[in-house]
Amino acid sequence: MSHLQMRARGPKGGEPPMKRGGGSGGGSGSGAIDDDMVEAHFAVEPEGLDIDDEDQHLQMADIDVDLGEAGRNWERPLPPPLDPRSDSITFQQLEVDYFVGPPNAHSLQVHRTDLHEVPILRMYGVTEAGNSVCAFIHGFEPYFYVEAPMGFGPDEAEALSRELNVKLAARNARGGRQSRFCMRVELVQRQTVMHYQAARSRTFLRIVVATPNLVAQARGILEGGIFVEALNTTRAFLTYESHVVFALRFMIDASIVGGNWVELPPSKYRLVPDADPARVTHCQLEAHVHYASLISHEPEGRWSRLAPFRILSVDIECAGRKGCFPEAEKDPVIQIASMVTEHGSAKPLVRNVMTLGTCAPIVGSEVMSFSSEEELLKRWRDLVVETDADVVIGYNICNFDLPYLIKRAETLEVSTFPFWGRIRKSKLRVRDTQFSSKAYGTHDWKEISIDGRVQLDLLMAIQRDHKLSSYSLNAVSAHFLGEQKEDVHHSIIADLQAGNAETRRRLAVYCLKDAYLPQRLVDKLMYMYNYVEMARVTGVPMSFLLTRGQSIKVFSQILRKARQRGLVVPNIKVHGGNPADGVAYEGATVLDAKQGFYKTPVATLDFASLYPSIMMAHNLCYTTLLPKDRLREVPPEDMIRTPSGDTFVRTCRTKGILPEILEELLAARKRAKADLKAATDPFVKAVLDGRQLALKVSANSVYGFTGAVISKMPCLEISSSTTAYGREMIEHTKKLVTAKYTRANGYEANCDVIYGDTDSVMVHFRVASTERAMELGKEAAEYVSKTFVKPIKLEFEKVYNPYLLINKKRYAGLLWTSADKWDKMDAKGIEIVRRDNCLLVRNVVTTCLEMILIKRDEEGAKAYVRRTIADLLMNRLDLSLLVVTKGLTQMAESYKVKAAHVELAEKMMKRDAATAPTLGDRVAYVMVKGAKGAKSWEKAEDPIYALEHGLPIDCQHYLDHFLEKPLSRLFGPIMKNPKDLMSGDHTRSITVAKLSKQAGGIMSFAKVRPTCLACKAPLEGSAVDLCPHCRPKEAEIYARSLGTVNELEAAFGALWTQCQRCQGSLHQDVLCTSRDCPIFYRRKKTQKDLAEAHAVLARFPDW
Amino acid sequence: MDVDEDGLEGPAAATGNRDLLCAPSASTADAPQLQRATAAFVCRDERFRLEKRTYDSQYAPIYFCRLEIMTPMLLERVAQGWPGVPVSKILDLPEGQEVAVVGTIYKEMKLKPSILDEYNKERGLENLTGRAKLAAPDDTLVLEDASARMALRGDGCPPGPLVTGVVAAVRGAAAPGGDFDVKAVLFAHLAPQPERPRAPPGPAKYVALLSGLGIGEGGDPARLALAVEYLGGFLGGATEQAMSAQVVRTVVAGGLLASSQALEAPPPQGGAAKLRQPALSLGPLKEADMVVAQLAAAMPVDVMAGAADPANQALPQQALHACLLPNAAAYPTLHRVTNPHEFEVDGVAFLGTSGQNVADVLRYSEGDDAAEALTRVLEWGHLVPTAPDTLAAYPFAADDPFVLRACPHVLFAGNQPEFATRMVTGREGQRVRLVCVPRFCDSGTLVLVNLATMAVHPITFDASLEA
Repeated sequence: MSHLQMRARGPKGGEPPMKRGGGSGGGSGSGAIDDDMVEAHFAVEPEGLDIDDEDQHLQMADIDVDLGEAGRNWERPLPPPLDPRSDSITFQQLEVDYFVGPPNAHSLQVHRTDLHEVPILRMYGVTEAGNSVCAFIHGFEPYFYVEAPMGFGPDEAEALSRELNVKLAARNARGGRQSRFCMRVELVQRQTVMHYQAARSRTFLRIVVATPNLVAQARGILEGGIFVEALNTTRAFLTYESHVVFALRFMIDASIVGGNWVELPPSKYRLVPDADPARVTHCQLEAHVHYASLISHEPEGRWSRLAPFRILSVDIECAGRKGCFPEAEKDPVIQIASMVTEHGSAKPLVRNVMTLGTCAPIVGSEVMSFSSEEELLKRWRDLVVETDADVVIGYNICNFDLPYLIKRAETLEVSTFPFWGRIRKSKLRVRDTQFSSKAYGTHDWKEISIDGRVQLDLLMAIQRDHKLSSYSLNAVSAHFLGEQKEDVHHSIIADLQAGNAETRRRLAVYCLKDAYLPQRLVDKLMYMYNYVEMARVTGVPMSFLLTRGQSIKVFSQILRKARQRGLVVPNIKVHGGNPADGVAYEGATVLDAKQGFYKTPVATLDFASLYPSIMMAHNLCYTTLLPKDRLREVPPEDMIRTPSGDTFVRTCRTKGILPEILEELLAARKRAKADLKAATDPFVKAVLDGRQLALKVSANSVYGFTGAVISKMPCLEISSSTTAYGREMIEHTKKLVTAKYTRANGYEANCDVIYGDTDSVMVHFRVASTERAMELGKEAAEYVSKTFVKPIKLEFEKVYNPYLLINKKRYAGLLWTSADKWDKMDAKGIEIVRRDNCLLVRNVVTTCLEMILIKRDEEGAKAYVRRTIADLLMNRLDLSLLVVTKGLTQMAESYKVKAAHVELAEKMMKRDAATAPTLGDRVAYVMVKGAKGAKSWEKAEDPIYALEHGLPIDCQHYLDHFLEKPLSRLFGPIMKNPKDLMSGDHTRSITVAKLSKQAGGIMSFAKVRPTCLACKAPLEGSAVDLCPHCRPKEAEIYARSLGTVNELEAAFGALWTQCQRCQGSLHQDVLCTSRDCPIFYRRKKTQKDLAEAHAVLARFPDW
Repeated sequence: MDVDEDGLEGPAAATGNRDLLCAPSASTADAPQLQRATAAFVCRDERFRLEKRTYDSQYAPIYFCRLEIMTPMLLERVAQGWPGVPVSKILDLPEGQEVAVVGTIYKEMKLKPSILDEYNKERGLENLTGRAKLAAPDDTLVLEDASARMALRGDGCPPGPLVTGVVAAVRGAAAPGGDFDVKAVLFAHLAPQPERPRAPPGPAKYVALLSGLGIGEGGDPARLALAVEYLGGFLGGATEQAMSAQVVRTVVAGGLLASSQALEAPPPQGGAAKLRQPALSLGPLKEADMVVAQLAAAMPVDVMAGAADPANQALPQQALHACLLPNAAAYPTLHRVTNPHEFEVDGVAFLGTSGQNVADVLRYSEGDDAAEALTRVLEWGHLVPTAPDTLAAYPFAADDPFVLRACPHVLFAGNQPEFATRMVTGREGQRVRLVCVPRFCDSGTLVLVNLATMAVHPITFDASLEA
């Protein structure tokens, strides 16, 4: 039996330190950031684990037996033989965490200590040959700083250490065997990062404690006041760097950045042999090393590559009960599809689907069928362990798939299931967390700790990085991959499962596709490259990138930089306060927009990296800020007074660390861009592109870090000075440009600055040719740049011609970067991609913009609008254009005001619980005619229901609520009274769908008499088509009806064959119910309309 | 299958045949009294006629039925052509062993237009520029049986000539990674053919095939008038009249009107326009009515709808409505029939379309020889393989009426750019006359098929005065 107590993170007591979410971002959250940085208390559990070693080995043996045909390709290549005396282990680390346990497990004496428990870091990674590695790093001690009181010497420090130890011991009485808590208090020379300090250094106390959780406790004690013998008084201390999580502390001190290459040099590490009972991980190589022996390679040159790490993409299917969204306590998991891809290779290594119940084979994929869910879950657990993924990806896996599996296994009491992390006996844990950040908004999610395997939920990643109208996997793949995805509604899934091996195969194919899409998205969006590079640039582990906000990245860089300079970062208490009234300084200015439609070129002058360059130019930093009461310490010529009235010292006194960080970031970006140009290898290119992007984002987030009120180090003096400079520069530019480019100075015309945003100024030179405007733009940019402090630079980048300026932050234009051809149509703030709009609005606005800007046909655009409005009012538009979708995120009670989609969901629930949308679904609706004065939420109706029952669409509602505003705005600069578009002749004739019996209400009592197909006169006698009056025009009327039939027949063919192509099968019915697909409603409507059109045609008697 | 390019009879191109323009013999007395020959006619269009329609069904059943019906044919071909090669389903493919698999071909084509392009501006524009040819060198094939699909590769089955919807048997072995390495491919080949009855004694009878009259657009109305008069026996000398008296039937294989646009109401501009919808221009239709009536007055006429005719467009196209041809419809000799149209004249089995099938095959495969495409259609054993994938079709719920269950004696396609014919001989001695009937408005040509010899006889009219 192992005496190694690996269960560091108890299921209750332990909050994993690494996988913490929480409002660490420049957040608007509750202000609980402080706690976030606290190391949790780690329960150290003795024996009594869920599975013992023997059991474990037995299971592993079983796996080999039934691996059979399927699992041939599952395992990683065997590691080459390794001699620890002469060979080093070099690997790209992807994740770092730690646990608290007895030092020097077994006889591996890498770190001598008398402590009973010490923190041991674990670093997981992959070697170049594709072997997985877990390095146990010993000997790194948690610590933080306080400023030493005057006259503190070694003896006083010793006394303080003793006092602290006693206090900590008292708090941890139950801890048991630990002999010491505060290890020592050292005297060190450091300086605070806050404010300009004339002195290079002063004495600080470095307080070293036994375990990371004691940092917070010791901090609490010191901040709360402790008796200091030397001063003979109780004194409270300001602590420094006491809010740095342990793993990050280690990475900073060891110069390790996220995702870089790390080397364990020969003879400095100990390898745990394969079969050794001391083996605690599922990694192929397991080594122990002292932290001082580690070599960290800077991610440059050959160390910039990515290892062939393994990515597991997962999707599960569950059989929900009719009308309910699947719940893990009740509904079985019926299929799990897994794709394992080695990073950098185009095709997955493993395509596996495990099914409950038999399933016919699928070409090119392994199908494994199980008769019980327990077996299915167990086998899947083994798959994860055997394929040994480094990264687990999927779509919404964090909130759905993975928690569901874990919960389900719990319900079924499959106690061996939640052990597919890399630590053999460490159970997976699920925790509800909230991620909230100013930049990304608030998201609830489930945090799952899978030791050593990084999770990347594509849904979360894409929600963060891209603004889309919908985040369903279908919409996302349509957007990025250009294809529609089949969508099988969960109510059908249960039916497919209940069928036979063939129907389950159908489901399995679907499930496999869904597992493959996230991988393709990762490839397409280069997520692996971008994330690794972001981790490298900012120095945080990859797992931080998704679970934390922007600020940890900046904070990590500040800590690293400060460490180089011997500076320490104070733990500033954030004073609660309401985040709403947080922004106490003035934001960026926007010059007033001179609304209009400019038909001659408008040049755009941009400040390159505006805020970073301001901070660099004026040396704005924590370390250079001179508080108002200390102005006399520095001669005026060494100070800079910013436009906001704050004072900073010039570089001759000291150079700020923020400017230095920024300089490095921007220089690195320049390098990366130059290398990118020179590179030929696509993988290298991808890495470099990821890097330059990461560098840009990082540089821009520094300003935000100083301005976020709830942040680790808010410093409004810096951020308000930065924006004040920005405003001044925009005004300055405007003044210079308008003064210089005048007729009086020999230019063609007096120029005009028509608009200015945060970092750009739009100049209308009033010249006709794009080429000339570009010349003038370049000239103006250079001219103005000369007047600024370096490295602030005004750049000329592009010309808009024509340019439609609607108002602040809303404009559109054709963008030119060279004089020969325009590059693209650029639109900002215009309803092209708003998610809560119907397709109609997007289409109309886009088409109008194209007509106005590209074709320069304003009258055509107006005519188009009138025509579309007429079509709308006459009910001639495709229904799918009118569908609005909204996510059902909470049940009705939780909404304060009645929302259309929520009311509709309830209504649908009453009609048919089986197909009604449930929590998490997207609800699609159209607005139908309601009683007079009906509220708009009463008018929402399920599009399918409206179709089938012939409910009339409330066209006026669409006109008034959806089209009017965007169109008025769009045409505002073009015509005097854009409202004219919305009224007039074309709005006079309105067609309302005929009410049918199915519509219910009064119609169920109505008797329908056949009417003449042409003039609608009631028909007499036996005729069923035309009245005698219209009979002579029979051929014409017939031909007209035929036109309708033919349009519909063509559409029917095109629509349904498209769905067949999408689902990838000719012989099987289309099951897809993707409401995000543009043709879903159209296909249904065409089906219905075509049958009706043929029925009309059949009324003409053939003689 | 042997293809014989010959078999033409009579003057191949009668352009400038002055004889035709001669007035009938001066004295009517010495002219023999000509009696138009007649022939037994059986219409076999039932399976193309749709009385009751429902659109609840999707397209999967058609493909499913197609595969069901054609699989036995292909299995037989596999047994003959590849004796000893085991037949496997895609799901049960053994690895490394050579097997035969029967399934429906699906051709992955980058250029294939999609309705989704409407929503994707860039691609949509590109397709709007109108490509006649959508086949590309990088098209690939997929074979799908009732339960699964697999990608085909290898030289044994080049994608070029194939189209989606063809049922085929492929021989080869599964390659690692799920692809199938094809060594050879077999199609259904010609179905069994009913025996052609011995022609009755006396002079040979003819069936006239006419298509693409293109009424309503420029054209040359005089030429069409000539053709109608010729068929009616009002033209030419005694020889011509004797010949036209032997034409027992005229089949108009689609294309009465030049375009259906004439019938489409222009999109109303603004709301008020609806109230004053312009009357449809029915002129061309009236003219067509007159032409057909004239023909029907002389002999039995079958009128099939074509792509631009006022009928529904999805295959099978239903007969033109009587109200559209009020004059012609009054003749009992007028048969308004479906497209495709299958019939027997004196026991000779005809099957043909108004040409959409051939046009679509050419659009989605390599090559631009219509006769070649028609030959392929016959070899594939399916009249309209690309329906419903790229050619609109009715969603049959329990049948695929386009499978060639029996081999016709004459297979024709109307509205072709030029006249062409072939004689195809099948393995079991089936002999099929293929006829590409040219658009009359372009070529001035109609085609006579000799029922006794299966020879064809194109007759071209030219009303221009320069010649």
